Amino acid sequence: MRYRVDANLKTELKKFGSKDWNECFHCGNCTAVCPLTENNFLFPRKSIRQAQMGLKNKLASNLDPWLCYFCGDCSKTCPRNANPGEIMMTLRRFMTSVYDWTGLSKKFYTSKSWEIIFIMVMFIAIVAAFGVFLAPARDIFSNASKYIAPESGGVLINSLVPGLNGHQFVKIIEIGDLTMAAIVASLLISNILRMFYFTIIKDKSVSVPFYSYFTEAWQLLFNFISQPKFSKCDNKQYWLGHFLLMSGYVIMFTVIVGLLPKFQVEEIFPWYNWQRILGYYATFGLLFFIVYSIIGRIKKKQIKFKFSHASDWLFLIMLGLTTITGILIHFFRIGGLPAATYIIYVLHLAVLVPMILIEVPFSKWSHLAYRPFAVYFSKLKKAAYKKQASLSEFSKAA
Amino acid sequence: MTEEIRFGVCIYNSERNTVCRFNFNELSDFVAKQSNVKCIWKFSSNKLIAINSLLGDIKTYSLNKLVIAGDFPGEVKGLFVKAAKASGVNLDNVILVDFSVYANLNGQSLSMAKKLLEKVLNGIEIEDSFSLSENPVHPDTLVIGGGIAGIQASLEIANGGNKVYLLEKTGTIGGHMAMFDKTFPTLDCAACILTPKMVEVGQHPNIEILTYSQLKSISGVAGNYQAKIHKKARRVNLSTCIGCGTCAEKCPRKAPSEFDASTTLRKAIYIPFPQAVPNKYLIDADHCTYVESGKCRVCEKVCPVPDCINLDEKDTEIEITIGNIVVATGFKIFDAAKAEQFGYGKLPNVLTSLEFERLINAAGPTGGNITFRTQDKKDNWVFEQGAGEPESIAIIHCVGSRDENFNKYCSKVCCMYSLKLAHLVKEKLPKASVFEYFIDMRAFGKGYEEFYERIKEEGVHIIRGRTATIKDNKGKLLLRSEDILSEKLIEQEVDMVVLSVGLEPREDAKKLAEMLNLNITLDGWFTERNYIFDPVNTNIGGIAIAGVCQGPKDIPDTVAQASAAAARVLQSIINKKVKVGLKNISHEELKLVKD
Repeated sequence: MRYRVDANLKTELKKFGSKDWNECFHCGNCTAVCPLTENNFLFPRKSIRQAQMGLKNKLASNLDPWLCYFCGDCSKTCPRNANPGEIMMTLRRFMTSVYDWTGLSKKFYTSKSWEIIFIMVMFIAIVAAFGVFLAPARDIFSNASKYIAPESGGVLINSLVPGLNGHQFVKIIEIGDLTMAAIVASLLISNILRMFYFTIIKDKSVSVPFYSYFTEAWQLLFNFISQPKFSKCDNKQYWLGHFLLMSGYVIMFTVIVGLLPKFQVEEIFPWYNWQRILGYYATFGLLFFIVYSIIGRIKKKQIKFKFSHASDWLFLIMLGLTTITGILIHFFRIGGLPAATYIIYVLHLAVLVPMILIEVPFSKWSHLAYRPFAVYFSKLKKAAYKKQASLSEFSKAA
Repeated sequence: MTEEIRFGVCIYNSERNTVCRFNFNELSDFVAKQSNVKCIWKFSSNKLIAINSLLGDIKTYSLNKLVIAGDFPGEVKGLFVKAAKASGVNLDNVILVDFSVYANLNGQSLSMAKKLLEKVLNGIEIEDSFSLSENPVHPDTLVIGGGIAGIQASLEIANGGNKVYLLEKTGTIGGHMAMFDKTFPTLDCAACILTPKMVEVGQHPNIEILTYSQLKSISGVAGNYQAKIHKKARRVNLSTCIGCGTCAEKCPRKAPSEFDASTTLRKAIYIPFPQAVPNKYLIDADHCTYVESGKCRVCEKVCPVPDCINLDEKDTEIEITIGNIVVATGFKIFDAAKAEQFGYGKLPNVLTSLEFERLINAAGPTGGNITFRTQDKKDNWVFEQGAGEPESIAIIHCVGSRDENFNKYCSKVCCMYSLKLAHLVKEKLPKASVFEYFIDMRAFGKGYEEFYERIKEEGVHIIRGRTATIKDNKGKLLLRSEDILSEKLIEQEVDMVVLSVGLEPREDAKKLAEMLNLNITLDGWFTERNYIFDPVNTNIGGIAIAGVCQGPKDIPDTVAQASAAAARVLQSIINKKVKVGLKNISHEELKLVKD
């Protein structure tokens, strides 16, 4: 099979993070040191080679970067300081932009101003929408006690907008939520289909046996929930931190988007209520990861955190602001401060919505879909390789 | 009417950082103050100037002389020649000023660079500045280091009829070469070709060997140096010792043998190896019971020669006058324990190549049988005869070389000696499987590629791929690496691993360089005056360098360089003149200038 060499690929890739693509002299150290290496899935040297050679098509059909969780072992022992772990990270960013048909992913990854302008526009739009259409009652400051539930002392969060009862208010927010989720989901699904096209259909070296689509399907959920591959890395702390973040995020996302009418209620539950416990767990998970990562990225001691792309910082800042505003809403509500609750509530949504709209389909968080699918696709490829091997043995025997 | 000279000066930073680091901004400020400099360009290897803007500058300022100053200025000469041709500047007026020669210990050789540039900008050719003056020369020579380089240089100079002091830190001359089993690519027995030379040195009327001695200080000018030499007490009289060995037989203390790369033990009173020159015993004060506690004196009692052993002998100091110095201090091997992934020091059957050389040597710990390292009765790890032979041996290249975590450079000799070791294993254990893991096979030179082909034909498995980890797997060693050529992960179980460790400058090379005012590269090797045309002289008049202390090289190259250094020395003795460095000044003054 012939491949076209794209001489500008390395220059293009520089915008996605890793600056030096020429350091690697192909000794194979990274491949051998990686606990995830299996034959036909050789980390990360093969991917670096494809990038160095400018084999864009081959890179697009390569699943390896998604199977890497960046434990940094390869970078630690690399004799060239080529930082293969960071290169894999860069390739993940690049691939996100390859799968994305809108072209926005590339814009967000390679241009800080695009990203920041998008966030600002969304932020202002949401604040304005609340100000114009869902402005809180005028006496929220002067007559605060009117908006406080007499028995629990908590803010009646859904009843602050005049002319709307609590049920109607939640309904409006829920419609917004679901719209956002629908946009994100449709973008992700269409991009995963493209990923499938690039990595399985277009890769002529494999023909996936049909039954394996079903037999390997359990991998999707299993990998999504527990990241079994990550736990193979030597440093288990990374897996734990990631698991806390992932589970916290999934819980929050499910509760906010799927179960909003149950979650955003006037009643303040006792602390041992399952909703509050889950909320506290999720908040702890998110906070732990954010603080750990920010400290790591400032100190730059661990290889994983040595180089920070603009998108890494933006992700941490947005997630941090979302989490902090979320915590504040909780405390202002319990503390019976209706005005502060409502203002922070609006700010919370004004940060959360652009974050989800950028991160999930176009940026760092898209890996929540791409990773499990990459594992699934890699199992499909493996099944294909197995079939090929047994076929060739059969033909030899014949 | 003579045309006004208008200089365009390029300050070029190659950014290789291996040779010298300047404050290029300060240098360009200095250049800007010179009256006939009309234009300055500053650029580095990764950000070159476009030829069009260069042409534009030459035209705008009507430049007629172009100077390229920096480390490795030749890298951009092509660009300037092109520009000169296009703009009608005479090619003779494109002048290179190479600073790499003036790399200093701390990378601050700015004043030297300034001096050099000042000369060029005043129309003095640089090559002239080296030979501006010549000193009368003392006919004696000091050779520092008694390895093959020092031996060769001493013999060449002494055979030319001149007196040589051969200074050696340990108890015997011979150096690393004496420890090797065979040499590549001819597979000569190293000891068989070296010991006759050692004996020749020992018996040469013109050579005075100063073993167990080190240079303490040096003063004077090129052609007439006064060297103070610190002689450590041997505690055994060199002239009366008959080398019978009775003392060592009875001596109660043991210490690891330096000559056997610590694979065996020797006594506190010892002879480094049976063919040592001088073939006399000496006492290792660091391990002697008498020196430690004031009791023992066993050796003294059993010695058959009266007053031969003087346990209370003190270190002495002598002063010699010499005209020339040849520095041939050699190298040390990379400390393999630093590369933790290979488990050296933790896994008993992971050896360095030097240990393996001794193991495979007929005079080594097992008489040349390749055996496992086993535990003796006192739980010490030792090599013993009859301990069982490995069935598979892996040799790992580039340990501590070509690795940014340790040494960036290629140690040049490891590929070839690894192939040689593979051959020796195949010779001694024909049934054993031998695996070589390499990154790039550097079999350059006469007969080397052919040697590589020969080893391949002998059935050695040669795998392209660096071993990433060695793990203990129930007594066997599990190697994990990628076979780059087939893109497959390889997990190979072997019995023994040999680490082909790279070469490093000696720990005290820096100290010696400071003492002699020599330049060293950032890697720690001594810097020659000109890498291509003057690879043996240094920037200091009357001091030549030879062997690995100048940079990694194999034995044939070392011998050739040692002979070349001797030729330079003899040339100065015959002419009765020694060319001096940049300025005819004494060492003390030079130090001031450089600081």
